[in-house]
Amino acid sequence: MSVILETQNLRREFGALVAVDDVSMEIEEGSLHSIIGPNGAGKTTFFNLVSGTLKPTAGRVLYKGEDITQLPMHRTIHKGIGRSFQITNIFPNLTVFENVRLACQALGSDSFRVFRSHLKSTAYLERAEEVLAEVGLSDRALTLARTLPHGDQRKLELGMILAPDPDVLMLDEPTAGMAAEQVPELMELVQSIQEAGDKTVVLVEHNMNVVMSVSDRITVMHQGARLAEGAPAEISADERVQTAYLGALYEDRGGS
Amino acid sequence: MTTLTPTPQSWLRRRRGLLAMVALLIAFPFLVSIIVDGQGLGAVIANDQGNARFLQGLAIEIFILAIYALSYDLILGVTGLLSFGHAMFFAVGAYTFGIMLKTHEMQWVAALVVVLIAAILQAFLFGVVLVRVKGIAFALVTLGLASVFWIVIQSSDLQQWAGAEIGLQGVRAPVWFLDTTNERFAFYLVTMTLMILCYVLYLRIIDSPSGKVFHAIRENEDRALMLGYNTFWFKLLVLVIASVTASLGGVLHTMHQPIVTPNIAGLGFTVTALLIILIGGVGTITGALVGAAVYRLLQFYLDRWFGAASELLIGLAYVVLVLYLPYGIVGTWRAKAAKRKEGWERLRTLLSPGERPTS
Repeated sequence: MSVILETQNLRREFGALVAVDDVSMEIEEGSLHSIIGPNGAGKTTFFNLVSGTLKPTAGRVLYKGEDITQLPMHRTIHKGIGRSFQITNIFPNLTVFENVRLACQALGSDSFRVFRSHLKSTAYLERAEEVLAEVGLSDRALTLARTLPHGDQRKLELGMILAPDPDVLMLDEPTAGMAAEQVPELMELVQSIQEAGDKTVVLVEHNMNVVMSVSDRITVMHQGARLAEGAPAEISADERVQTAYLGALYEDRGGS
Repeated sequence: MTTLTPTPQSWLRRRRGLLAMVALLIAFPFLVSIIVDGQGLGAVIANDQGNARFLQGLAIEIFILAIYALSYDLILGVTGLLSFGHAMFFAVGAYTFGIMLKTHEMQWVAALVVVLIAAILQAFLFGVVLVRVKGIAFALVTLGLASVFWIVIQSSDLQQWAGAEIGLQGVRAPVWFLDTTNERFAFYLVTMTLMILCYVLYLRIIDSPSGKVFHAIRENEDRALMLGYNTFWFKLLVLVIASVTASLGGVLHTMHQPIVTPNIAGLGFTVTALLIILIGGVGTITGALVGAAVYRLLQFYLDRWFGAASELLIGLAYVVLVLYLPYGIVGTWRAKAAKRKEGWERLRTLLSPGERPTS
């Protein structure tokens, strides 16, 4: 398998704080690659750097061998990188259907047609229905996005990233705030999408059980730097990881 | 094809409300002439003095306000850009057209072209600001821009063009159908047609792919960016459309009023647009038309009946409107209509035999 997304010595400073410290990472095409680490490890900042939301202080981001470091946020999706947010980020007062339809329209060429009904662009309507069926929200299509329960909003968000059919899905804690019994359902969805479409998924996740069971490869970040990388079994056996992250977490649990 | 999109109705059926309104507006001067003035239909055509002529004048003011408020609703209600410089959009049209006709003695078509260019340029000027600031900061900078314009047109250095504090006087109608004094009915029809045209175009715009992106920008601009829309170009497009529309309103204003005062560039006139769309319903487009009518009629009749006390009564009227119609007249109506429809459907499922509601 070839490398689809690569960072070279990626660095981002906020004043004196080094949020991402010379991180070099290679993500293989078609894999499910998780990034874990304690709070403040720089996972979300790393995501922001790759997706163009933030510009790095130093380093490069390569996508399919092309340098996309300086690409603005609204261009990375055109390259084929879809990104979700830790905090639900949807259009609250538009319908579920319209949320997804807008995501489909974004990659088309008729967004500047001012005097033509949007219903005439049937390709987006059909694609939006397809995506809603895929994430299991077809029966909620005409409700306003803000009235959806939180779990469904996360699914909607996933649908919005899926809509333009990107090659790489960057999911920032897709299960954040979800009820525990809903988590497996969403993760199965993510896995089925990855396997069916041969997509690459980069996942930031706090739920260790989830990460261990679904990932092909795991990178552990700690204080902005890459601490370890490997298959799930290697990671859970790694002593450094246990002390930096897992150990602390299990101790917390044991104490409570 | 899809179950999620509304079934298209025939053109006539979809537009029946609009067609009825147009028919009523055309019939309006004739009805007033017959019923109130006791004159014949010919009085309207001949532009005789009387209530019919006077009320046409009032209606023309409403049409112009409606065009102006439509453009503000596109900016604020649909796209969510808070601009406090909207009066400038109107005033640039009004002053440019007047000055081109009066001082430069231009052909009216040429003057309109100049207005168009000026409108687009000022949209770009606002657009430059938009790259840098958002939200409240944008409101303040646009307020500043409009204030500068308001001061400039009142300066004595520009007296020979803009007429300083007094304003622009003595702009003569360049062509018969823009002559509100001698051809009132023709001018009434022209302003009405232009208002309807703007309204229909705006309905199309908000239903277009671009219009959907405007809504997305209002809802969550960062998300729109992340989806791959370069939102700046869409916001600039909104400003250009609104600026051209508001300038058209300004042009008609210059034709209708004997004096174009600097007041139309002041903050007060921006607030007028804001009030109109608050009354009508923010972001509803139709609300701009309804709001303009309610606003101008309230203002006019309260002033006629109560004189100096009218300002207070207008204020009270707004408080009542906001309290009881929080989404404006059209917005509240639509919300209620959706509820009513839901209720009817539930009643129908309950009454139909064999079909039990599942929930």
